[in-house]
Amino acid sequence: MGPDRGGARGDRRPPRGVALSSTSLVFENVSYAYEEAAREAVSDLSLSIAVGEWVGVTGPTNAGKSTLCLLAMGLAPHFFGGRLKGRVVVLEKDSRELSVIQRSAEVGLLFQNPFTQISGARERVDDEVGFGPECHGVSRLEVAARVEEAMALVGISQLAARHPMDLSGGQLQRLALAGLLAMRPKLLLLDEPTSQLDPAGTAAIFDVLAGLHASGITIVMVEHRLETLCELCPRVVAMVAGRIIADGPPDDVFNREAVQLRVGSPVFTRLAREAGLSPPWPVRLRDATAVFGRRLA
Amino acid sequence: MAGGLSLYAEGKSLLHRAHPLTKGALTLSAIAIAFIAPSIGWVLGIGVILLVLVTAAGVLRRLLAVAAAILLPITLLLLAVQGFANANNRTVAFALGPIVYYREGLAIAALAALRIACLVCATFLFSFTTRPADISEALMQRGLSTRMGYVVQSALQIIPQTLDMAGRIQDAQRARGLETEGSLPRRARAYLPLMLPLVLSSLVATQERAMALEVRGFGLPVKRVARFEFADSPLQRVLRWVLIGAVPAAIAARLAGWR
Repeated sequence: MGPDRGGARGDRRPPRGVALSSTSLVFENVSYAYEEAAREAVSDLSLSIAVGEWVGVTGPTNAGKSTLCLLAMGLAPHFFGGRLKGRVVVLEKDSRELSVIQRSAEVGLLFQNPFTQISGARERVDDEVGFGPECHGVSRLEVAARVEEAMALVGISQLAARHPMDLSGGQLQRLALAGLLAMRPKLLLLDEPTSQLDPAGTAAIFDVLAGLHASGITIVMVEHRLETLCELCPRVVAMVAGRIIADGPPDDVFNREAVQLRVGSPVFTRLAREAGLSPPWPVRLRDATAVFGRRLA
Repeated sequence: MAGGLSLYAEGKSLLHRAHPLTKGALTLSAIAIAFIAPSIGWVLGIGVILLVLVTAAGVLRRLLAVAAAILLPITLLLLAVQGFANANNRTVAFALGPIVYYREGLAIAALAALRIACLVCATFLFSFTTRPADISEALMQRGLSTRMGYVVQSALQIIPQTLDMAGRIQDAQRARGLETEGSLPRRARAYLPLMLPLVLSSLVATQERAMALEVRGFGLPVKRVARFEFADSPLQRVLRWVLIGAVPAAIAARLAGWR
Protein backbone atom coordinates (compact mmCIF):
# COMPACT_ATOMS: atom_id res chain seq x y z
CA MET A 1 0.00 0.00 0.00
CA GLY A 2 1.00 3.62 -0.23
CA PRO A 3 2.80 5.66 2.34
CA ASP A 4 1.19 6.71 5.62
CA ARG A 5 -1.33 9.38 4.81
CA GLY A 6 -2.66 10.11 8.23
CA GLY A 7 -0.27 12.82 9.22
CA ALA A 8 -0.02 14.46 5.84
CA ARG A 9 -3.43 16.10 5.74
CA GLY A 10 -3.13 19.68 6.91
CA ASP A 11 0.53 19.24 7.83
CA ARG A 12 2.22 22.41 6.68
CA ARG A 13 5.77 21.20 7.09
CA PRO A 14 7.68 20.16 3.94
CA PRO A 15 7.86 16.38 3.46
CA ARG A 16 10.70 14.72 5.30
CA GLY A 17 13.83 14.22 3.27
CA VAL A 18 12.80 16.71 0.59
CA ALA A 19 14.89 19.81 0.14
CA LEU A 20 12.87 22.84 -0.85
CA SER A 21 15.82 24.59 -2.40
CA SER A 22 15.30 23.69 -6.07
CA THR A 23 12.30 24.75 -8.09
CA SER A 24 9.81 22.50 -9.77
CA LEU A 25 7.81 25.10 -11.66
CA VAL A 26 8.60 28.71 -12.46
CA PHE A 27 6.49 31.27 -14.31
CA GLU A 28 8.44 34.39 -15.25
CA ASN A 29 6.24 37.30 -16.37
CA VAL A 30 4.06 34.91 -18.33
CA SER A 31 1.19 36.17 -20.45
CA TYR A 32 -0.76 33.83 -22.68
CA ALA A 33 -3.70 34.26 -25.06
CA TYR A 34 -5.45 31.39 -26.83
CA GLU A 35 -5.56 31.49 -30.60
CA GLU A 36 -8.05 34.06 -31.88
CA ALA A 37 -8.88 35.12 -28.30
CA ALA A 38 -9.29 38.85 -27.81
CA ARG A 39 -7.92 38.93 -24.26
CA GLU A 40 -5.15 37.12 -22.46
CA ALA A 41 -6.11 34.10 -20.34
CA VAL A 42 -3.25 34.85 -17.97
CA SER A 43 -1.34 38.11 -17.69
CA ASP A 44 2.05 38.89 -16.24
CA LEU A 45 2.09 35.74 -14.15
CA SER A 46 5.11 35.23 -11.91
CA LEU A 47 5.24 32.24 -9.63
CA SER A 48 7.86 29.89 -8.27
CA ILE A 49 7.02 26.49 -6.81
CA ALA A 50 9.70 24.52 -4.99
CA VAL A 51 10.23 20.78 -5.25
CA GLY A 52 7.93 18.91 -2.86
CA GLU A 53 5.43 21.74 -2.38
CA TRP A 54 1.66 21.26 -2.50
CA VAL A 55 0.15 24.43 -3.91
CA GLY A 56 -3.58 25.03 -4.20
CA VAL A 57 -4.81 27.35 -6.93
CA THR A 58 -8.24 28.92 -6.66
CA GLY A 59 -10.30 31.71 -8.14
CA PRO A 60 -13.59 32.41 -9.92
CA THR A 61 -14.45 31.27 -13.45
CA ASN A 62 -12.07 32.60 -16.14
CA ALA A 63 -9.42 33.29 -13.53
CA GLY A 64 -6.83 31.42 -15.62
CA LYS A 65 -6.42 28.45 -13.27
CA SER A 66 -6.78 25.74 -15.93
CA THR A 67 -4.58 27.74 -18.31
CA LEU A 68 -1.88 27.76 -15.63
CA CYS A 69 -1.99 23.93 -15.63
CA LEU A 70 -2.00 23.76 -19.43
CA LEU A 71 1.01 26.10 -19.57
CA ALA A 72 2.90 24.04 -17.01
CA MET A 73 2.16 20.85 -18.95
CA GLY A 74 3.09 22.52 -22.22
CA LEU A 75 -0.31 21.90 -23.82
CA ALA A 76 -0.46 25.67 -24.11
CA PRO A 77 0.95 26.63 -26.51
CA HIS A 78 2.08 23.27 -28.00
CA PHE A 79 -1.45 21.84 -28.35
CA PHE A 80 -3.62 24.98 -28.42
CA GLY A 81 -1.35 27.38 -30.28
CA GLY A 82 -1.82 30.96 -29.16
CA ARG A 83 0.60 33.66 -28.01
CA LEU A 84 2.98 33.06 -25.11
CA LYS A 85 5.12 35.79 -23.58
CA GLY A 86 7.60 35.26 -20.78
CA ARG A 87 9.09 31.94 -19.64
CA VAL A 88 7.61 28.81 -18.16
CA VAL A 89 10.34 26.64 -16.65
CA VAL A 90 9.31 23.15 -15.60
CA LEU A 91 11.85 21.04 -13.73
CA GLU A 92 14.54 23.41 -14.94
CA LYS A 93 13.63 23.08 -18.61
CA ASP A 94 12.02 25.85 -20.65
CA SER A 95 8.56 24.87 -21.87
CA ARG A 96 9.49 25.87 -25.41
CA GLU A 97 12.29 23.29 -25.51
CA LEU A 98 10.20 20.19 -24.88
CA SER A 99 7.04 18.84 -26.47
CA VAL A 100 4.18 17.62 -24.27
CA ILE A 101 4.95 13.95 -24.88
CA GLN A 102 8.62 14.47 -24.02
CA ARG A 103 7.62 16.25 -20.82
CA SER A 104 5.10 13.54 -19.93
CA ALA A 105 7.88 11.41 -18.45
CA GLU A 106 8.24 13.87 -15.56
CA VAL A 107 5.01 15.86 -15.43
CA GLY A 108 1.46 14.54 -15.11
CA LEU A 109 -1.79 16.43 -15.64
CA LEU A 110 -5.08 15.17 -14.28
CA PHE A 111 -8.15 16.74 -15.90
CA GLN A 112 -11.63 17.29 -14.48
CA ASN A 113 -13.40 14.64 -16.50
CA PRO A 114 -12.16 11.13 -15.67
CA PHE A 115 -14.03 9.66 -18.63
CA THR A 116 -11.84 11.34 -21.25
CA GLN A 117 -8.57 10.60 -19.49
CA ILE A 118 -8.55 6.90 -20.03
CA SER A 119 -7.06 5.78 -23.32
CA GLY A 120 -10.33 4.30 -24.56
CA ALA A 121 -8.38 1.39 -25.98
CA ARG A 122 -7.80 -0.96 -23.08
CA GLU A 123 -10.17 -3.59 -21.71
CA ARG A 124 -8.68 -4.05 -18.26
CA VAL A 125 -7.87 -1.59 -15.52
CA ASP A 126 -4.30 -2.87 -15.10
CA ASP A 127 -3.69 -2.64 -18.87
CA GLU A 128 -4.99 0.92 -18.79
CA VAL A 129 -2.60 1.88 -15.99
CA GLY A 130 0.29 0.47 -18.02
CA PHE A 131 -0.59 2.47 -21.14
CA GLY A 132 1.65 5.46 -20.35
CA PRO A 133 4.82 3.56 -19.39
CA GLU A 134 4.39 1.38 -22.49
CA CYS A 135 4.25 4.52 -24.64
CA HIS A 136 7.57 5.50 -23.07
CA GLY A 137 9.17 2.18 -24.00
CA VAL A 138 9.51 1.01 -20.40
CA SER A 139 10.44 -2.68 -20.13
CA ARG A 140 7.69 -5.22 -19.54
CA LEU A 141 8.87 -6.14 -16.04
CA GLU A 142 9.19 -2.51 -15.06
CA VAL A 143 5.69 -1.76 -16.43
CA ALA A 144 4.25 -4.60 -14.36
CA ALA A 145 5.96 -3.33 -11.21
CA ARG A 146 4.82 0.24 -11.80
CA VAL A 147 1.25 -0.84 -12.54
CA GLU A 148 1.07 -2.85 -9.33
CA GLU A 149 2.54 0.01 -7.31
CA ALA A 150 0.31 2.70 -8.83
CA MET A 151 -2.86 0.66 -8.39
CA ALA A 152 -1.97 -0.06 -4.76
CA LEU A 153 -1.23 3.61 -4.14
CA VAL A 154 -4.66 4.77 -5.30
CA GLY A 155 -6.44 1.71 -3.88
CA ILE A 156 -7.72 0.06 -7.04
CA SER A 157 -5.73 -3.19 -6.98
CA GLN A 158 -8.92 -5.19 -6.52
CA LEU A 159 -10.30 -3.70 -9.76
CA ALA A 160 -7.37 -4.86 -11.92
CA ALA A 161 -9.40 -7.22 -14.11
CA ARG A 162 -12.43 -4.93 -14.52
CA HIS A 163 -13.23 -3.03 -17.72
CA PRO A 164 -12.45 0.69 -17.24
CA MET A 165 -15.87 1.64 -18.55
CA ASP A 166 -17.52 -0.41 -15.81
CA LEU A 167 -16.03 1.73 -13.03
CA SER A 168 -17.80 4.49 -11.11
CA GLY A 169 -16.73 8.12 -11.53
CA GLY A 170 -14.58 8.03 -8.40
CA GLN A 171 -12.94 4.76 -9.39
CA LEU A 172 -12.36 6.08 -12.90
CA GLN A 173 -10.65 9.21 -11.56
CA ARG A 174 -8.45 7.05 -9.33
CA LEU A 175 -7.65 4.94 -12.41
CA ALA A 176 -6.69 8.10 -14.33
CA LEU A 177 -4.47 9.13 -11.42
CA ALA A 178 -2.90 5.66 -11.28
CA GLY A 179 -2.19 5.95 -15.02
CA LEU A 180 -0.24 9.14 -14.34
CA LEU A 181 1.53 7.78 -11.26
CA ALA A 182 2.75 4.79 -13.24
CA MET A 183 4.77 7.32 -15.25
CA ARG A 184 6.56 8.29 -11.98
CA PRO A 185 6.01 12.06 -12.37
CA LYS A 186 7.99 14.56 -10.35
CA LEU A 187 5.34 17.22 -10.79
CA LEU A 188 1.61 16.53 -10.66
CA LEU A 189 -0.85 19.08 -12.01
CA LEU A 190 -4.46 18.56 -10.97
CA ASP A 191 -7.22 20.59 -12.62
CA GLU A 192 -10.21 20.24 -10.30
CA PRO A 193 -9.66 16.51 -9.96
CA THR A 194 -12.75 15.92 -7.83
CA SER A 195 -15.26 18.28 -9.42
CA GLN A 196 -17.31 15.39 -10.80
CA LEU A 197 -17.00 13.07 -7.82
CA ASP A 198 -19.22 12.32 -4.85
CA PRO A 199 -17.96 13.04 -1.30
CA ALA A 200 -16.63 9.49 -0.84
CA GLY A 201 -14.77 9.58 -4.17
CA THR A 202 -13.43 13.03 -3.34
CA ALA A 203 -12.15 11.93 0.06
CA ALA A 204 -10.45 8.92 -1.52
CA ILE A 205 -8.64 11.07 -4.08
CA PHE A 206 -7.50 13.60 -1.46
CA ASP A 207 -6.19 10.79 0.74
CA VAL A 208 -4.13 9.55 -2.18
CA LEU A 209 -2.81 13.06 -2.87
CA ALA A 210 -1.85 13.54 0.77
CA GLY A 211 0.15 10.33 0.54
CA LEU A 212 1.85 11.47 -2.67
CA HIS A 213 2.76 14.82 -1.13
CA ALA A 214 4.25 13.02 1.85
CA SER A 215 6.37 10.97 -0.54
CA GLY A 216 7.85 14.15 -2.04
CA ILE A 217 5.91 14.72 -5.28
CA THR A 218 5.26 18.36 -6.13
CA ILE A 219 1.54 18.99 -6.51
CA VAL A 220 -0.25 21.94 -8.07
CA MET A 221 -4.00 21.57 -7.55
CA VAL A 222 -6.79 23.74 -8.90
CA GLU A 223 -9.72 23.55 -6.49
CA HIS A 224 -12.92 25.49 -5.84
CA ARG A 225 -13.68 24.05 -2.43
CA LEU A 226 -11.87 26.52 -0.22
CA GLU A 227 -12.25 24.53 2.99
CA THR A 228 -10.61 21.54 1.32
CA LEU A 229 -7.87 23.73 -0.09
CA CYS A 230 -7.09 25.17 3.35
CA GLU A 231 -7.05 21.73 4.97
CA LEU A 232 -4.73 20.20 2.40
CA CYS A 233 -2.47 22.82 0.88
CA PRO A 234 0.28 24.60 2.83
CA ARG A 235 0.30 27.29 0.13
CA VAL A 236 -2.56 28.86 -1.82
CA VAL A 237 -2.49 30.98 -4.96
CA ALA A 238 -5.61 33.09 -5.57
CA MET A 239 -6.23 34.20 -9.15
CA VAL A 240 -8.69 36.62 -10.68
CA ALA A 241 -9.00 37.51 -14.37
CA GLY A 242 -5.69 35.88 -15.30
CA ARG A 243 -3.66 37.51 -12.53
CA ILE A 244 -2.41 36.36 -9.14
CA ILE A 245 -3.95 38.51 -6.41
CA ALA A 246 -2.57 36.60 -3.41
CA ASP A 247 0.01 33.89 -2.80
CA GLY A 248 0.95 32.40 0.55
CA PRO A 249 -0.26 30.25 3.44
CA PRO A 250 -4.08 29.88 3.43
CA ASP A 251 -4.39 31.79 6.74
CA ASP A 252 -2.77 34.84 5.12
CA VAL A 253 -4.48 34.54 1.73
CA PHE A 254 -8.04 34.18 3.01
CA ASN A 255 -7.66 36.91 5.60
CA ARG A 256 -7.05 39.46 2.84
CA GLU A 257 -10.03 41.62 1.98
CA ALA A 258 -9.39 41.51 -1.77
CA VAL A 259 -9.44 37.70 -1.74
CA GLN A 260 -12.58 37.57 0.39
CA LEU A 261 -14.35 39.94 -1.99
CA ARG A 262 -13.22 38.52 -5.32
CA VAL A 263 -12.55 34.84 -4.61
CA GLY A 264 -14.52 34.11 -1.46
CA SER A 265 -13.52 32.67 1.87
CA PRO A 266 -13.90 29.36 3.71
CA VAL A 267 -17.10 28.92 5.64
CA PHE A 268 -15.20 29.00 8.97
CA THR A 269 -13.73 32.38 8.08
CA ARG A 270 -17.15 33.79 7.19
CA LEU A 271 -18.65 32.37 10.36
CA ALA A 272 -15.96 33.97 12.54
CA ARG A 273 -16.36 37.30 10.76
CA GLU A 274 -20.15 37.19 11.10
CA ALA A 275 -19.78 36.29 14.77
CA GLY A 276 -17.86 39.52 15.27
CA LEU A 277 -14.51 37.94 16.07
CA SER A 278 -11.47 40.03 15.37
CA PRO A 279 -9.06 38.99 12.60
CA PRO A 280 -7.10 36.92 11.78
CA TRP A 281 -10.06 34.65 11.20
CA PRO A 282 -9.64 30.86 11.12
CA VAL A 283 -9.60 29.11 7.74
CA ARG A 284 -9.62 25.48 8.92
CA LEU A 285 -12.08 23.49 10.98
CA ARG A 286 -9.61 22.76 13.77
CA ASP A 287 -8.62 26.42 14.06
CA ALA A 288 -12.25 27.49 14.07
CA THR A 289 -13.07 24.93 16.74
CA ALA A 290 -10.26 26.29 18.90
CA VAL A 291 -11.29 29.92 18.36
CA PHE A 292 -14.98 29.31 19.09
CA GLY A 293 -14.05 27.05 21.99
CA ARG A 294 -12.09 29.88 23.60
CA ARG A 295 -14.94 32.30 22.89
CA LEU A 296 -17.52 30.03 24.52
CA ALA A 297 -15.27 29.41 27.49
CA MET B 1 -21.69 2.62 -17.63
CA ALA B 2 -21.28 0.44 -20.67
CA GLY B 3 -18.57 -2.16 -20.93
CA GLY B 4 -16.41 -2.77 -23.97
CA LEU B 5 -17.68 -4.08 -27.27
CA SER B 6 -16.48 -7.57 -26.54
CA LEU B 7 -18.23 -10.89 -27.07
CA TYR B 8 -15.32 -12.75 -25.53
CA ALA B 9 -16.35 -15.65 -23.32
CA GLU B 10 -13.83 -16.74 -20.70
CA GLY B 11 -12.52 -20.23 -21.36
CA LYS B 12 -9.47 -22.46 -21.39
CA SER B 13 -10.09 -24.43 -24.58
CA LEU B 14 -7.42 -25.01 -27.21
CA LEU B 15 -8.97 -22.27 -29.31
CA HIS B 16 -8.99 -19.82 -26.41
CA ARG B 17 -5.28 -20.48 -25.94
CA ALA B 18 -4.39 -20.37 -29.63
CA HIS B 19 -2.50 -17.41 -31.10
CA PRO B 20 -4.95 -14.67 -32.25
CA LEU B 21 -3.43 -14.75 -35.74
CA THR B 22 -4.02 -18.50 -35.99
CA LYS B 23 -7.67 -17.94 -35.09
CA GLY B 24 -7.81 -15.02 -37.52
CA ALA B 25 -6.37 -17.16 -40.33
CA LEU B 26 -8.85 -19.94 -39.51
CA THR B 27 -11.77 -17.52 -39.57
CA LEU B 28 -10.83 -15.78 -42.80
CA SER B 29 -9.97 -18.96 -44.69
CA ALA B 30 -13.13 -20.75 -43.51
CA ILE B 31 -15.27 -17.84 -44.71
CA ALA B 32 -13.40 -17.47 -47.99
CA ILE B 33 -13.47 -21.19 -48.84
CA ALA B 34 -17.16 -21.43 -47.89
CA PHE B 35 -17.88 -18.80 -50.53
CA ILE B 36 -15.46 -20.26 -53.10
CA ALA B 37 -16.61 -23.89 -52.72
CA PRO B 38 -18.98 -24.84 -55.56
CA SER B 39 -21.47 -27.19 -53.90
CA ILE B 40 -23.58 -27.66 -50.80
CA GLY B 41 -21.57 -30.74 -49.79
CA TRP B 42 -18.30 -28.81 -49.48
CA VAL B 43 -19.89 -25.86 -47.67
CA LEU B 44 -21.70 -28.25 -45.34
CA GLY B 45 -18.35 -29.89 -44.59
CA ILE B 46 -16.83 -26.54 -43.60
CA GLY B 47 -19.90 -25.84 -41.47
CA VAL B 48 -19.53 -29.18 -39.68
CA ILE B 49 -15.83 -28.50 -38.96
CA LEU B 50 -16.72 -25.08 -37.55
CA LEU B 51 -19.46 -26.59 -35.38
CA VAL B 52 -17.00 -29.14 -34.01
CA LEU B 53 -14.59 -26.30 -33.13
CA VAL B 54 -17.40 -24.27 -31.57
CA THR B 55 -18.39 -27.25 -29.44
CA ALA B 56 -14.78 -27.88 -28.44
CA ALA B 57 -14.44 -24.22 -27.43
CA GLY B 58 -17.50 -24.57 -25.19
CA VAL B 59 -19.45 -21.76 -26.83
CA LEU B 60 -22.06 -23.77 -28.76
CA ARG B 61 -25.01 -22.56 -26.67
CA ARG B 62 -23.99 -18.90 -27.04
CA LEU B 63 -23.47 -19.36 -30.77
CA LEU B 64 -26.85 -21.01 -31.29
CA ALA B 65 -28.62 -18.16 -29.50
CA VAL B 66 -26.90 -15.48 -31.60
CA ALA B 67 -26.88 -17.42 -34.88
CA ALA B 68 -30.58 -18.28 -34.67
CA ALA B 69 -31.50 -14.62 -34.33
CA ILE B 70 -29.37 -13.70 -37.35
CA LEU B 71 -29.76 -16.71 -39.61
CA LEU B 72 -33.43 -17.56 -39.24
CA PRO B 73 -34.85 -14.43 -40.91
CA ILE B 74 -32.12 -14.43 -43.58
CA THR B 75 -32.71 -18.11 -44.42
CA LEU B 76 -36.48 -17.69 -44.60
CA LEU B 77 -36.09 -14.67 -46.86
CA LEU B 78 -33.63 -16.50 -49.14
CA LEU B 79 -35.89 -19.57 -49.37
CA ALA B 80 -38.89 -17.45 -50.25
CA VAL B 81 -37.21 -15.17 -52.79
CA GLN B 82 -35.12 -17.82 -54.55
CA GLY B 83 -37.72 -20.62 -54.45
CA PHE B 84 -40.49 -18.50 -55.87
CA ALA B 85 -38.73 -15.92 -58.01
CA ASN B 86 -35.28 -17.06 -59.21
CA ALA B 87 -34.88 -16.52 -62.96
CA ASN B 88 -33.47 -20.04 -63.44
CA ASN B 89 -36.40 -21.81 -61.75
CA ARG B 90 -37.61 -24.71 -63.97
CA THR B 91 -38.42 -27.81 -61.88
CA VAL B 92 -41.47 -27.63 -59.65
CA ALA B 93 -40.90 -28.84 -56.10
CA PHE B 94 -44.49 -28.29 -55.00
CA ALA B 95 -47.46 -26.16 -55.89
CA LEU B 96 -50.28 -24.76 -53.79
CA GLY B 97 -52.84 -23.58 -56.32
CA PRO B 98 -51.26 -20.71 -58.26
CA ILE B 99 -48.24 -20.57 -55.92
CA VAL B 100 -45.36 -22.66 -57.31
CA TYR B 101 -42.12 -23.41 -55.51
CA TYR B 102 -39.06 -24.52 -57.52
CA ARG B 103 -36.16 -26.90 -56.79
CA GLU B 104 -33.50 -24.73 -58.45
CA GLY B 105 -34.39 -21.79 -56.20
CA LEU B 106 -34.40 -24.06 -53.16
CA ALA B 107 -30.86 -25.30 -53.98
CA ILE B 108 -29.53 -21.77 -54.53
CA ALA B 109 -31.15 -20.53 -51.31
CA ALA B 110 -29.79 -23.48 -49.32
CA LEU B 111 -26.24 -22.90 -50.63
CA ALA B 112 -26.39 -19.16 -49.90
CA ALA B 113 -27.86 -19.76 -46.43
CA LEU B 114 -25.16 -22.32 -45.64
CA ARG B 115 -22.42 -19.93 -46.75
CA ILE B 116 -23.85 -17.18 -44.54
CA ALA B 117 -24.14 -19.70 -41.69
CA CYS B 118 -20.42 -20.49 -42.09
CA LEU B 119 -19.61 -16.77 -42.08
CA VAL B 120 -21.63 -16.18 -38.91
CA CYS B 121 -20.28 -19.32 -37.24
CA ALA B 122 -16.62 -18.51 -38.03
CA THR B 123 -16.96 -14.86 -37.02
CA PHE B 124 -18.58 -15.62 -33.68
CA LEU B 125 -16.18 -18.49 -33.01
CA PHE B 126 -13.37 -15.96 -33.34
CA SER B 127 -15.19 -13.31 -31.28
CA PHE B 128 -16.11 -15.71 -28.49
CA THR B 129 -12.56 -17.00 -28.10
CA THR B 130 -10.46 -13.85 -28.73
CA ARG B 131 -10.24 -10.63 -26.72
CA PRO B 132 -10.48 -7.58 -29.04
CA ALA B 133 -7.35 -6.07 -27.47
CA ASP B 134 -5.43 -9.26 -28.30
CA ILE B 135 -6.13 -8.82 -32.01
CA SER B 136 -4.51 -5.40 -32.22
CA GLU B 137 -1.73 -6.43 -29.83
CA ALA B 138 -0.93 -9.43 -32.03
CA LEU B 139 -0.97 -7.23 -35.14
CA MET B 140 1.30 -4.64 -33.46
CA GLN B 141 3.73 -7.41 -32.55
CA ARG B 142 3.76 -8.26 -36.28
CA GLY B 143 4.64 -4.72 -37.30
CA LEU B 144 1.38 -2.74 -37.23
CA SER B 145 2.18 0.81 -36.09
CA THR B 146 1.26 1.85 -32.53
CA ARG B 147 -1.03 4.55 -33.91
CA MET B 148 -2.89 2.09 -36.14
CA GLY B 149 -3.05 -0.35 -33.26
CA TYR B 150 -4.62 2.34 -31.10
CA VAL B 151 -7.15 3.10 -33.84
CA VAL B 152 -8.15 -0.57 -34.01
CA GLN B 153 -8.35 -0.87 -30.22
CA SER B 154 -10.30 2.33 -29.65
CA ALA B 155 -12.67 1.62 -32.55
CA LEU B 156 -13.72 -1.55 -30.77
CA GLN B 157 -14.58 0.48 -27.66
CA ILE B 158 -16.17 3.55 -29.20
CA ILE B 159 -19.70 2.24 -29.78
CA PRO B 160 -20.48 1.37 -26.14
CA GLN B 161 -18.87 4.63 -25.02
CA THR B 162 -21.03 6.66 -27.41
CA LEU B 163 -24.15 4.75 -26.37
CA ASP B 164 -23.28 5.46 -22.75
CA MET B 165 -22.92 9.18 -23.47
CA ALA B 166 -26.21 9.21 -25.43
CA GLY B 167 -27.95 7.49 -22.50
CA ARG B 168 -26.73 10.15 -20.07
CA ILE B 169 -27.85 13.00 -22.34
CA GLN B 170 -31.26 11.40 -22.80
CA ASP B 171 -31.62 10.90 -19.05
CA ALA B 172 -30.86 14.59 -18.51
CA GLN B 173 -33.36 15.61 -21.21
CA ARG B 174 -36.01 13.28 -19.80
CA ALA B 175 -35.49 14.81 -16.36
CA ARG B 176 -36.31 18.19 -17.91
CA GLY B 177 -39.56 16.93 -19.39
CA LEU B 178 -38.65 15.67 -22.88
CA GLU B 179 -40.97 12.81 -23.83
CA THR B 180 -39.02 9.85 -25.14
CA GLU B 181 -41.68 7.16 -24.72
CA GLY B 182 -44.85 6.51 -26.68
CA SER B 183 -45.58 6.19 -30.38
CA LEU B 184 -42.89 5.65 -33.02
CA PRO B 185 -43.05 9.27 -34.36
CA ARG B 186 -42.77 10.63 -30.80
CA ARG B 187 -39.75 8.44 -30.07
CA ALA B 188 -38.19 9.45 -33.40
CA ARG B 189 -38.69 13.13 -32.55
CA ALA B 190 -36.95 12.56 -29.21
CA TYR B 191 -33.76 11.62 -31.06
CA LEU B 192 -33.46 15.02 -32.77
CA PRO B 193 -32.56 17.02 -29.63
CA LEU B 194 -30.15 14.23 -28.71
CA MET B 195 -28.00 14.58 -31.80
CA LEU B 196 -26.53 18.07 -31.30
CA PRO B 197 -25.36 17.59 -27.68
CA LEU B 198 -24.13 14.11 -28.55
CA VAL B 199 -22.03 15.36 -31.47
CA LEU B 200 -20.72 18.34 -29.49
CA SER B 201 -19.93 16.20 -26.43
CA SER B 202 -18.13 13.69 -28.66
CA LEU B 203 -16.02 16.46 -30.21
CA VAL B 204 -15.11 17.90 -26.80
CA ALA B 205 -14.34 14.41 -25.49
CA THR B 206 -12.16 13.73 -28.51
CA GLN B 207 -10.12 16.89 -27.90
CA GLU B 208 -9.74 16.11 -24.20
CA ARG B 209 -8.72 12.53 -24.95
CA ALA B 210 -6.17 13.73 -27.50
CA MET B 211 -4.65 15.93 -24.77
CA ALA B 212 -4.78 13.11 -22.24
CA LEU B 213 -3.00 10.79 -24.69
CA GLU B 214 -0.21 13.34 -25.19
CA VAL B 215 0.09 13.75 -21.44
CA ARG B 216 0.68 10.00 -21.20
CA GLY B 217 3.35 10.05 -23.89
CA PHE B 218 1.37 8.51 -26.74
CA GLY B 219 3.25 9.05 -29.98
CA LEU B 220 6.70 9.22 -28.43
CA PRO B 221 9.15 7.86 -31.01
CA VAL B 222 10.45 4.98 -28.91
CA LYS B 223 10.42 1.27 -29.57
CA ARG B 224 7.26 -0.06 -27.99
CA VAL B 225 7.68 -3.04 -25.71
CA ALA B 226 5.08 -5.76 -26.23
CA ARG B 227 2.70 -6.07 -23.28
CA PHE B 228 2.96 -9.85 -23.31
CA GLU B 229 3.97 -12.70 -25.58
CA PHE B 230 1.26 -14.84 -27.10
CA ALA B 231 1.79 -18.57 -26.88
CA ASP B 232 2.86 -19.73 -30.31
CA SER B 233 4.35 -22.96 -31.70
CA PRO B 234 5.84 -24.32 -34.94
CA LEU B 235 2.61 -26.27 -35.42
CA GLN B 236 0.54 -23.08 -35.23
CA ARG B 237 2.86 -21.29 -37.62
CA VAL B 238 2.55 -24.13 -40.16
CA LEU B 239 -1.21 -24.22 -39.65
CA ARG B 240 -1.47 -20.48 -40.35
CA TRP B 241 0.40 -20.85 -43.62
CA VAL B 242 -1.73 -23.86 -44.60
CA LEU B 243 -4.93 -21.97 -43.86
CA ILE B 244 -3.79 -18.86 -45.72
CA GLY B 245 -2.51 -20.98 -48.63
CA ALA B 246 -5.80 -22.87 -48.82
CA VAL B 247 -7.60 -19.76 -50.10
CA PRO B 248 -5.61 -19.21 -53.33
CA ALA B 249 -5.55 -23.01 -53.76
CA ALA B 250 -9.36 -23.07 -53.61
CA ILE B 251 -9.59 -20.20 -56.12
CA ALA B 252 -7.19 -22.02 -58.45
CA ALA B 253 -9.15 -25.26 -58.09
CA ARG B 254 -12.39 -23.45 -58.81
CA LEU B 255 -10.89 -21.88 -61.94
CA ALA B 256 -9.62 -25.29 -62.96
CA GLY B 257 -13.14 -26.71 -62.89
CA TRP B 258 -13.80 -27.74 -59.30
CA ARG B 259 -17.48 -28.71 -59.11
